[in-house]
Amino acid sequence: MFPYTPTDPGRIPVKLVAQFKRHKARFGVGLLLLGLYQVAQWWFDNHFMSAINAATSGKDALALNLGLLLVVVSLGAFVARVLSRLVVFNAGRIAEYELRKALLYRLQRLGPPFFQRMSSGEIMSRVTNDLVQVRLLLGFGVLNVINTPFALVSALAVTLPISPSLTLAALAPLPVLIIVTRSFSRQLYTRTLENQNAIGAMSEQVQNSIAGVRIVRSFALEEQELRAFSRTNQQYLEKSLALARLRGSFGPVMQAITAVGVLVVFWYGGYLMLENELDAGGFLAFYRALGRLTWPLMSLGFLVGLVQRGRAAYTRLAQIYDAVPDIVDGPATPNPAGVGHLEVRHLSFAHGDTPVLDDVSFTLEPGASLAVVGRTGSGKSTLAELLPRLLATPAGSVFLDGQDICDLPLAHVRKTIGYAQQDAFLFSTTVCRNIGFALDEPDTEAALLNIRDAAKRVHVLDEMLALPDGLDTIVGERGVQLSGGQKQRVALAGALLVRPRILVLDDPLSAVDARTEKRILDAIDRERTQRSVILVTHRVAAARRCDRIIVLDEGRIVASGTHEELIARGGIYARFAEEQRIQSELEKLGQAEYPSLGPELVNP
Amino acid sequence: MTASANVSFDEAQDESPDTPTKQRTEAILERFHEEASFDKGHDVRLLLALWPYIKRHQLWFWVAALVIVVTAVASLLTPLIMRDAIDQGVLQKNPDRLMRGGLLFAGVIVIEQLLTFVQMYALQVVGARAMADLRLRVFGFLHELRVGFFDTQPVGRLVTRVTNDIDAILELFASGALNAFGDLIRLVGIVALMLALDYQLSLIAFAAIPPVALTVWWVRTRARGAFRLIRAKTARMNATMNEQVNGMTVIQAYNRQQAAEAEFDEINLAYRDANISSIKYDAIQDAAIDMVQSIALALIIVALGYHDATFGTVVAFSAYLTKFFEPLSAIAQRYTLLQSALAGAERVFRLLDVRAPDAPARTTQAPVGNPDVALELSNVSFAYKAGVPVLDNVSLAARRGEKIALVGPTGSGKTTITSLCLRLYEVDRGVVRVNGQDVRSMGREELRTKFAVVPQEVFLFPGTLAQNISAGRTPDLTRVEAVLRRIDAYDLLMKKQGGLEARVDEAGGNFSAGERQLIAFARALYRDAEILILDEATASVDSDTEARLQKALEEVIRDRTALVIAHRLSTVRASDRIIVLQKGHVVESGSHDQLLEQGGLYSVLYELQFARQHPAS
Repeated sequence: MFPYTPTDPGRIPVKLVAQFKRHKARFGVGLLLLGLYQVAQWWFDNHFMSAINAATSGKDALALNLGLLLVVVSLGAFVARVLSRLVVFNAGRIAEYELRKALLYRLQRLGPPFFQRMSSGEIMSRVTNDLVQVRLLLGFGVLNVINTPFALVSALAVTLPISPSLTLAALAPLPVLIIVTRSFSRQLYTRTLENQNAIGAMSEQVQNSIAGVRIVRSFALEEQELRAFSRTNQQYLEKSLALARLRGSFGPVMQAITAVGVLVVFWYGGYLMLENELDAGGFLAFYRALGRLTWPLMSLGFLVGLVQRGRAAYTRLAQIYDAVPDIVDGPATPNPAGVGHLEVRHLSFAHGDTPVLDDVSFTLEPGASLAVVGRTGSGKSTLAELLPRLLATPAGSVFLDGQDICDLPLAHVRKTIGYAQQDAFLFSTTVCRNIGFALDEPDTEAALLNIRDAAKRVHVLDEMLALPDGLDTIVGERGVQLSGGQKQRVALAGALLVRPRILVLDDPLSAVDARTEKRILDAIDRERTQRSVILVTHRVAAARRCDRIIVLDEGRIVASGTHEELIARGGIYARFAEEQRIQSELEKLGQAEYPSLGPELVNP
Repeated sequence: MTASANVSFDEAQDESPDTPTKQRTEAILERFHEEASFDKGHDVRLLLALWPYIKRHQLWFWVAALVIVVTAVASLLTPLIMRDAIDQGVLQKNPDRLMRGGLLFAGVIVIEQLLTFVQMYALQVVGARAMADLRLRVFGFLHELRVGFFDTQPVGRLVTRVTNDIDAILELFASGALNAFGDLIRLVGIVALMLALDYQLSLIAFAAIPPVALTVWWVRTRARGAFRLIRAKTARMNATMNEQVNGMTVIQAYNRQQAAEAEFDEINLAYRDANISSIKYDAIQDAAIDMVQSIALALIIVALGYHDATFGTVVAFSAYLTKFFEPLSAIAQRYTLLQSALAGAERVFRLLDVRAPDAPARTTQAPVGNPDVALELSNVSFAYKAGVPVLDNVSLAARRGEKIALVGPTGSGKTTITSLCLRLYEVDRGVVRVNGQDVRSMGREELRTKFAVVPQEVFLFPGTLAQNISAGRTPDLTRVEAVLRRIDAYDLLMKKQGGLEARVDEAGGNFSAGERQLIAFARALYRDAEILILDEATASVDSDTEARLQKALEEVIRDRTALVIAHRLSTVRASDRIIVLQKGHVVESGSHDQLLEQGGLYSVLYELQFARQHPAS
């Protein structure tokens, strides 16, 4: 029953029409089943009429036979109806599943420029709301498109032979049903949206009020906050009641309209019976068939909105499906004799119209270390991200063992050039899984040993073991359960575990105290024979341990050399060194011992 | 699990064969992500705790209760009307009778629907209003809790209490748990009416009830399981997707696209399959009512051949049988909603049980100090976390109108002192006095309105510029302008689009650091309180802004008592007295010149921090 989902999610068809075609077998079976169901309904109504007439005219045996047949047909109709829904609605769910899978696949191949254009909130709204609309279109929508004409034919096949004029009279109020449903469905959509916005506004207000709790208290603004909240609360109350009114009015309005149809049948049907044009069985069969028509006609009203919204939703999804990845695999085979020699040649880069790097060149020999120092906004983080092609590195500017990294497979580049970011991102899983993030098998004995070892090297193991569940503690969303320094060290442990030839560290210890930072850098240094290091840092104490330091300012290398050379030259680096010396003096001062004054000496 | 965390590595290894790590991790993750949303909170006490909120709107509540009974009874009438219409109208070929039946039938249906609307809406009004009250209570309660409470609670969780959890309780009313009474009335009424109409036929019909009822109940129970699973999987799927989108750089840097896809696929698949099983139950339930009706009708037609009953009775029976299964299925559904509502209620009431009031005024009067001392800390000790003292036996005082600069290395306790003055935290030992009065003997608002605060990180609320300056009060625009002119910031801020009514984005993102500082100064001036507390920002600003800020500072501290955590030389120079703090102690006190001459900690700090800023003015 399930269509084959390609093992390569890149091959999942993402066009709406293609997804529709993909399930044409299901829709075909659904068509058949719904047809059967409606035939059964038609048969039931017709023979139900004869059975009644038989039973009321004393033909017991005939009534018994017919009755049993009716039971069998009811069961058959039940099975056909259940199966039709399974077949068609499942198609919607499968399409939803595949489209969501394809969505993630596409997203994973897109670079930062895309995520700057489309925020994660917008992406999530597409993944949740828009996908639901498309699913409804492919499941519920398709089912009703098939079912409504069938239901109409099946009901008319009962009523027309009984009385064409009664049929016409009974159907008269039904178009109103479609129009009312259509307008109801439109209003329902807007009011639901308004309701969601109202609750969104309320969440935001609570969020702000709690985030600013110190100010609220310091300024004794509790009353004002409460008043402001009370207004938002009232708005939400009104929106939710408006939605409830609309929802609640649907039933009575629909029933009122159908009641008109019922009255027509009773009135005109009674007249026809008096004229002997209609018998009791016929009357009841007619009444039953009419009842079957209500829902399919109502669904027509819903369908119009469903199709509109489904298509609009798909257009928004297509913005993700159609986005072109700007960072793709290169065709070259990696040099098997590669030792991890990195060369940057005249690298310039701009974020949109803003130039970030301008003609940056340097070489990193295997086993060497290089520090990149500069102010915030000097372009050093961008440089770090360009090396493993996390940004769209321009061709002909970064070479790994003599090969342009743009010509190499991405997997190779990223495996060779490891990267740890300053803004450590942790997943809401266990400490262990976060450190072993890059491992295929994070749960083997060997992997656990490695994970502990990496944690030990970044001096975070003891702190993690002290957590309630040790390394199995869940770090919470983005690692909220850990301190800033712990997060950075856990993330760094993950980077060390990969053992890349070249390790790019983008200020990964900014929230760690200087002493621990030194110990961690010592540990990294001990492995320098296997791995060269590029350390982006704002700390001179960390930079000075590197073989060479380059100083970036406004995207350009303004100085390079050893710590001593740069100090001697003056300029930005020397100023940094001086500022940081003062900072560390101040820190030391904080720990120094000074006698405290007695109260009599403090006060006037 | 917990134990293994602290044992040595060897022992942990010994343990692993019988507890495969992967399973264990998966179990932990499962518990974390999915069960958290299903606290079992099943208690009559919770319903009783909700009652006071409902009570205020009880008129609507009783209207709904009454209408529910009437509606249930009305719904029992339609098959009877149908019976008479058929027996006396259709079979007797009497169009008048038929028409009367039709009118009655249509009328009762419309009335029943209208009453259903009234009943549903009345309940929704009670529920929505009661929940709005509860929401207001929870929000107000949050602002009665002491600041320390928020140091340990994620903001998102508290927001959820006010929004999602209370909405879960509202579902109880929206879905009409109260309707369960109506459902019961229907069930009993149907049985009674059927027996009254024709007890022999009833007994035949009742034979069909147990198997069908069991089936309905079975399907419902399974559907409930599927529904819970869907909810849990939806939450986890969205969380995972969101996380992967936000952590995309990490995934790409480590080349983990496929692993991430596999992880997501597992949840995506589970979500799909949970939905597919739910489709099955929904479809069965949906079609079953139809089928039961048809089969009941067919069987009764058969019975009609052997048992003397009017045809109308037969039709009425079939209608009653159908009606019998609707409430049965509804009751099962309502039970699910009751559970999730109670879980929400439990979380909300657990929050309301927290006892951590912010600065409650004490009745017992503490000894009164010198009323001419505007601000005084007397032998104060304080720790945020037990065992890590931040202030140790600190005493300091500011005479009325005196301007004191607090100076000291990071972590010496300067900001803590300002928090204690406002009684944002309670001292562990000692007394804080304002105008000679123990802060604990004052009302919260009485105390805090004596202060104007300029924090280091200026916090701007979304709203207008004027609203931010008037700090929540209805802004008096002339006064706002006057205040801005006094600190010479009017021209600068008027350049913003909208002038005084310029929009302030969340966290003041559309204002520069210097502008935000100026707004904070203006806010303090607008407030015109006796005592100013100022935590100077450390961020460097351009020299023009620097000059403005200096001028603004002088204006703000004029004619009032001021306690300033100083980072700028000009600020230190503008103060009457400098108090030097270190490791939670006061180590020096005196004027700039005195302290420099003394050659202690201040002179070292001066060398490091201030001397290089500007040429001394």
